[in-house]
Amino acid sequence: MAEAMKQTVASMLKGIERYNPDNLPTLERYVEVQSRENTYDLEANLAVLKLYQFNPHSFNTDVTSQILLKALTNLPHTDFILCKCLLNEKQLAEDPINQIVYLADILEQCDFELFWTRIHTLPELTQRITGFVDWIRKFVCHVVGITYQTIERTHLAQLLGDVDDGTLKLWIKKYGWKETGSLVFIANQDENIKTKNINEKIEFESVGAVMASCR
Amino acid sequence: MSKGYIDDYEQGYDYGSYDDYGGHTGDPALDEYNRQHVKMPEGVKNFLVYFRNNVNEGLIFELQALYEHSWPKLTEDYFDKRPWPEESEVAALVDSDPVFMILYKELYFRHIYARIQGGPTLEQRFNSFYNYCDLFNYILSAEEPVPLELPDLWLWELIDEFVYQFQSFAQYRARLQKKTPQELETLNANNKVWNVLCVLNVLHSLVDKSNIKQQLEVYASGGDPESVSGEFGSHSLYKMLGYFSLVGLLRLHSLLGDYYQAIKVLENIEVHKKSQYAHIPACQISTSYYVGFAYMMMRRYSDAIRTFSSILLYIQRTKQLFASKTYQHDQINKQTDQMYHLLAICLVLHPQCIDESIQQTLREKSYHEKMYKMQYGDLQEFENSFVYACPKFLSPYPPPIDSIPDDYSKEAIQHQTAVFMDEVAQQKMLPTIRSYLKLYTTLPLSKLATFMAQNNRMNDGKWDLDKEMQTLIIHLLCFKHKMKNVVWFKGASGLEGKFQSGSELDFYIDNDMIHIADTKVAHRYGDFFIRKILKFEDLNRKLHQLKL
Repeated sequence: MAEAMKQTVASMLKGIERYNPDNLPTLERYVEVQSRENTYDLEANLAVLKLYQFNPHSFNTDVTSQILLKALTNLPHTDFILCKCLLNEKQLAEDPINQIVYLADILEQCDFELFWTRIHTLPELTQRITGFVDWIRKFVCHVVGITYQTIERTHLAQLLGDVDDGTLKLWIKKYGWKETGSLVFIANQDENIKTKNINEKIEFESVGAVMASCR
Repeated sequence: MSKGYIDDYEQGYDYGSYDDYGGHTGDPALDEYNRQHVKMPEGVKNFLVYFRNNVNEGLIFELQALYEHSWPKLTEDYFDKRPWPEESEVAALVDSDPVFMILYKELYFRHIYARIQGGPTLEQRFNSFYNYCDLFNYILSAEEPVPLELPDLWLWELIDEFVYQFQSFAQYRARLQKKTPQELETLNANNKVWNVLCVLNVLHSLVDKSNIKQQLEVYASGGDPESVSGEFGSHSLYKMLGYFSLVGLLRLHSLLGDYYQAIKVLENIEVHKKSQYAHIPACQISTSYYVGFAYMMMRRYSDAIRTFSSILLYIQRTKQLFASKTYQHDQINKQTDQMYHLLAICLVLHPQCIDESIQQTLREKSYHEKMYKMQYGDLQEFENSFVYACPKFLSPYPPPIDSIPDDYSKEAIQHQTAVFMDEVAQQKMLPTIRSYLKLYTTLPLSKLATFMAQNNRMNDGKWDLDKEMQTLIIHLLCFKHKMKNVVWFKGASGLEGKFQSGSELDFYIDNDMIHIADTKVAHRYGDFFIRKILKFEDLNRKLHQLKL
């Protein structure tokens, strides 16, 4: 379904057609499809928010919530900020958009434990977004992957949302990490992260000019 | 509208020192005739006639001189704070030449926007809009390319002004508190005037008509753009209007907070590269300003820093070029200063090596103090710098008809500021962590947690190491996340890129130990000495030439 709609939608995003309010119903349906079928199309979703910006009376809280939650699934990309910039203060204060904004804020600060506690108290908020929790775990793994060389196993499980042993093993395997006792080896970071020295290089031509005038 | 402005306007026909037709004839009709026809200075009359002939004959070099020098000079001499002559007066001089009149009116309104105290009236705003409609209809609805050639600088300023007047109207429209009931009624009855869709439509039509997107694509891949330019796009007028409309769209999208489209619209344009399209400095500077800003909002600090430093370096090197043209100069100076502010913000959030001469400027003046305050977590300073340097955001639709009469023009800017400040707040702890990490090559987590706790004055010296460790780890994860950003390498779209840590300090955690990698920059003695030697040589040469 999402694949089939993609082409239709792409033609709706070209040039001035992007601002045609008649396309809104189709684009909104496409958002629902993305939520259901676990696909993602940032450009189409931004076009929906743009149409809301131009036609405030058509603003739909439910569709906007889904767009914002989908944007979170694409972390560490800054899609959420792009969406936020197209909304206004009043819309962001609406329930449940304000709760999603809060979730984004704690995710951006990498306070993952707080995020998982919060999510457990609001199960219905993210239920409609297929695969939501796994997308967030993927983001957690991205951050762990760039930060750690080795991490405590229990800590990793906590960051992933207190996952059970089987799930933890799946994620470790997915990223090619290795368990060594109570620790998990992530990657050899000292190859990528090392002190750089920038030394001055003097071009031959610069010295040439000076030497020439010494004669 | 202030009383002062109306007075000024009515005296508009009194051309200062040229007022030697002083006395009244006693006949009001004749007086009126004198006011309208006699008092336009000869110089201005001749100029207008000559100007029109040159437009008709398409003498591009002459037009350039008239546009860049004569018009500003006459403006200074006769119309410093008053409008140029009315349409009817000028029409009589040029046989009501329709195309010339449109062009004249464009300049006439532009001058009112720029120079007349109190700004344009509602009627003038409307008329200027209708005049733009006439102009673009003439250019866009023609069956074949219109026989018109204008200097590129004029075309750029025309598009830039069109977007500016839209921006100015949206701001004006949102200030309900000072409007009379009649004004509000007129505005509500004319919602099509300066409508955002109309402005977008014009810019998109100019882009489509000129095939500029296809031309740029072929040009970027090393081909000949003429091969895809089509009938219209091979004409300089259409081609350049198309190119400048892309920059106009960049600006318009930015003003609406749509940073994704802003960057996307410039596909196939390499902002830093010289090209056959990039020869208008004001256009280049404006492009870099909006591109850099959009990158900054998208947390692509490396890209923003690269964009700003590159254009600021260009401005530094070519400064003398702009010095002569004063009306452009003010605009460029303002935008330059704004870009230094934005660069300062980016460098505080994402410390990185930049060109020495740009660094030098940032060490001077007020920038240094501002950066220092921001580094120490002064949120107010972040906000002040942002508000000063950001574009004048606007809301694309007017406040609802039944809104209480208030000033709504600041809402958009407040919102974008809030989004940016959320980001800054999320990164609040990073400078402190960075300043500790800079001192070590390895540092145990517990030791850093202790430093952080001792540094925190809120806890009265009572704290729990485990808790502090937990908080610290969150901050460290956040540090890594925020410093790893998409950076553009190659490709047609500025939206592309790969995740990279571009900041000068980086680290990783090995279980409970932090390993730190810093960038060490050796002092540039050689460069310094070479410059001084050359300067000394130069001075010496000049001294020898002196004859006493």
